[in-house]
Amino acid sequence: MNLDLVAQLAISGFVIGSLYALLGVSFGLVYQTSKIFHLAGAIPLAAAGYGAVWSAKTLHFPIWLSLLFGLAVSVLIGALILLLGYLPLIERKASLLSLFLVSLGLSVAFPSLLQIIFGVNNLPLEVYGSDGALKVPFENPVYQSGFLTITRLSIVQLIVSWVLVLIVLFIINKTALGRSVTALRTNPAMASAVGIDSRVVYLVIFSLSSLLMGVAGLLVTTQFVANPTMGLQWTLIGFIAVFFGGITSLGGSALGGLVLGLLSSLSGIWLGSQYAPIVVFTILFLTLLVRPQGLFGKATI
Amino acid sequence: MVLITLGVSLNLLLGLVGRVSMAQSILFGVGAFTAARLALPTRTPDMADNVSGIGYGLNQPWYIAIAGAVVVTFIAALIISIPAVRIIRGEYLILLTLAFQLGGQQTMVVAKSVTGGAYGVAGIPSIKIGNIDFSGYTDRGTLNIAIFMAIVTLFVIVIAQGIANSPFGRILKTIREQASVVSSIGKSPVAPEMLTFGITAAIAGGIGAVFALSQGAIIPGNFNLDLSILIVSVVVLGGTGNVLGTIFGAIILGTLEPILRAVLGDSGIIWRSVIYGSALILMTFIRPNGFLPEGVKFKPFSKSKNEIVALTQSEAIKRLARTKGLTQSTSEEVLELKVLKKSFGGLTAVNGASFSIPRGKITALIGPNGAGKTTIFNMVTGTYKADSGQVFLRGKEITGLSEIEIAKSGIARSFQDVRLCEKMTALDNVAVAVPDQLGEKLLNLVIKPRASRLREKEVRERAFECLAVLGVSDKADQLVSDLSYGDQKLVAIARLLATDCEVLLLDEPTSGVDPSNVEGVIEGVMKLREIGCTVCLIEHSVYFIEKLADRAVFLDQGVVLAEGSVENLMSNKELSDLYFGG
Repeated sequence: MNLDLVAQLAISGFVIGSLYALLGVSFGLVYQTSKIFHLAGAIPLAAAGYGAVWSAKTLHFPIWLSLLFGLAVSVLIGALILLLGYLPLIERKASLLSLFLVSLGLSVAFPSLLQIIFGVNNLPLEVYGSDGALKVPFENPVYQSGFLTITRLSIVQLIVSWVLVLIVLFIINKTALGRSVTALRTNPAMASAVGIDSRVVYLVIFSLSSLLMGVAGLLVTTQFVANPTMGLQWTLIGFIAVFFGGITSLGGSALGGLVLGLLSSLSGIWLGSQYAPIVVFTILFLTLLVRPQGLFGKATI
Repeated sequence: MVLITLGVSLNLLLGLVGRVSMAQSILFGVGAFTAARLALPTRTPDMADNVSGIGYGLNQPWYIAIAGAVVVTFIAALIISIPAVRIIRGEYLILLTLAFQLGGQQTMVVAKSVTGGAYGVAGIPSIKIGNIDFSGYTDRGTLNIAIFMAIVTLFVIVIAQGIANSPFGRILKTIREQASVVSSIGKSPVAPEMLTFGITAAIAGGIGAVFALSQGAIIPGNFNLDLSILIVSVVVLGGTGNVLGTIFGAIILGTLEPILRAVLGDSGIIWRSVIYGSALILMTFIRPNGFLPEGVKFKPFSKSKNEIVALTQSEAIKRLARTKGLTQSTSEEVLELKVLKKSFGGLTAVNGASFSIPRGKITALIGPNGAGKTTIFNMVTGTYKADSGQVFLRGKEITGLSEIEIAKSGIARSFQDVRLCEKMTALDNVAVAVPDQLGEKLLNLVIKPRASRLREKEVRERAFECLAVLGVSDKADQLVSDLSYGDQKLVAIARLLATDCEVLLLDEPTSGVDPSNVEGVIEGVMKLREIGCTVCLIEHSVYFIEKLADRAVFLDQGVVLAEGSVENLMSNKELSDLYFGG
């Protein structure tokens, strides 16, 4: 076995795993609070990418502003999905199945709307320079040490993802908001009795989750491109990270994402990268078979 | 047509069990490629190694190809569902099928030796019956395929209807609406659910095979996630649990594409997703049950009425008492609890409770809220695992057995809420609890149809008797949602009776029942004693307890404070102070 190769794959595993962890925490937030299989989480992700690309290109925003704009769009859309889509149904005590169906409907319609508005092509993030010419927003130099390489944007991804993951974990585990979330999750009736407004908690959670999705969307867009269907595969990864890590803890979701990224990357030692989705599915299947509660979950089920 | 059949097959799963599969499309594809490989001619030496698109296979006739596809997809589906049903949570099935769909799409592109990679396989021989043309390349053949598909679709619809109206379907509906009940009456929800998923998949696989044989060429791109979502939409739009609705939904969504294409040109295809996506959302809000909800049926599909002759309450009691084969006089202790303990986190709910329940008597568990009464029920029935302590049934230890095993050994329980399936009739709700039903095993319906039908008649008779004992047999054919709450409670008790269990645990049988109906419930519970059942109930109404119970066990803060005859306990000043808050 080639040790250099293993080390290189481990590095890219960490990089992609940190994105997976971010996605896992984003979905873990929603799923733990509301039990909604929030497939429509793909929407804020794509919205952030498109928001940034569009504002840079059409409004000639500088790069930092277009990134912020993208995030704002994703948070706004995430909150709207909750307010117009889920909340009315939750208040009618609709089943989780119908919530999922709404989510499914949204995630079918939205990418097509993007296609209708922005066309079917991949859109790279480009900004106008001071000379008025379109250019790539970030230099992305490659750092090299011996055989190992890593790009600057990968380092950014590592840092941004983990800082955000830690902040969210801190909020959920240590603050009043986090306690309201726990209360709402474990006993909604009691939570409302002690004055926790479930709508406010849901709104905060969905906004926070959409923010994370938006960041993920920007990370993807800056390194690759934005395209209409970009959301779904990442959404699924997020969900797999949650169930793989264990639905009972957010930290588990983050670690689940990281381990998933590492494993799928390291599988490249034996298999080509086109096998990655298959590897991910197999890992998920085997984990649930042996440990239904997930890798880091408590056996409460 | 393909869409109708796929829709009908998913409707089995979504409509009957309330589970969503996002992998219908890939299973359809698995069937298609299996059939293609079975049907393609064997490789001959003069064939070039890698002629693009032309494959070779096992040279089997078309019917073997279809059968092979059905078997392969059935097995594939069972394997995928193993982790999902072990946890009995719908989200896991969504997750696994979604992941399988996406992983499978990739596999199809990668597994070149089977699927021919992204370009797929071509040259698949068409179906041949005599010399009728079934090739998709000619007009005549296309028409014949349509006719063939219509027959297949009809066949699938008949199977789906048969399943829905069988005892097997009855269990599935109960799983969908009240999953917790299924194991409490001693039946496993796992096998029926897996089997239904398997059948749903197998039908998709079979249709995939027909698709491959009629198209002659298939590519992995045919079997994408969009198709899976489309199939789910068809079922949801049409109305889950209603076959006609599904057909309707399939026709509408199926004709949408050509219309849009005609009006908008090539961009029409994009609009289709927008339209059915929004339709999905709107439907969930406006008509959550679809265009044609479950229960809306047309004459030919409606079930024949009950031919069970009415019988009087006393007759029913006699019949059931005989089958129970119990004498009422024995005063042996049937159920014995020894130092049971259970805590939740820091809260100790039950702290070393010991008492026993004599045979053929009605024992009431009383005590203030939070005394641990329901927790004790949950430990006896195996819903919770006791932290320590033991439970004995007829002298045999049952601690640590699963809910299903305990129910089978003779303890059934009701819940504070009734947990009936509202869209089913009272009779069906009771019938589901009758043990040893042949027709609950799908295989029996196929290989022993007569015996299954006979047994089903007995089952329905038994269910009717149970309803008669509780005095609600006149409501046997009504939907539970149309019954008063008091009657629903009685139906729930009848369901307990139908389990043939000796010990019946009733959790607050009169809570929420309006005063005019309370008498009916009291009567009903007394009838249980008459039959020879041992009853243990949790009750707050002192009136009820004094009228009914032979013995009472007073609990507070997880320990037994006193037990004995009801009069003794009620005359104890200390206890009544505690109970009524002094």
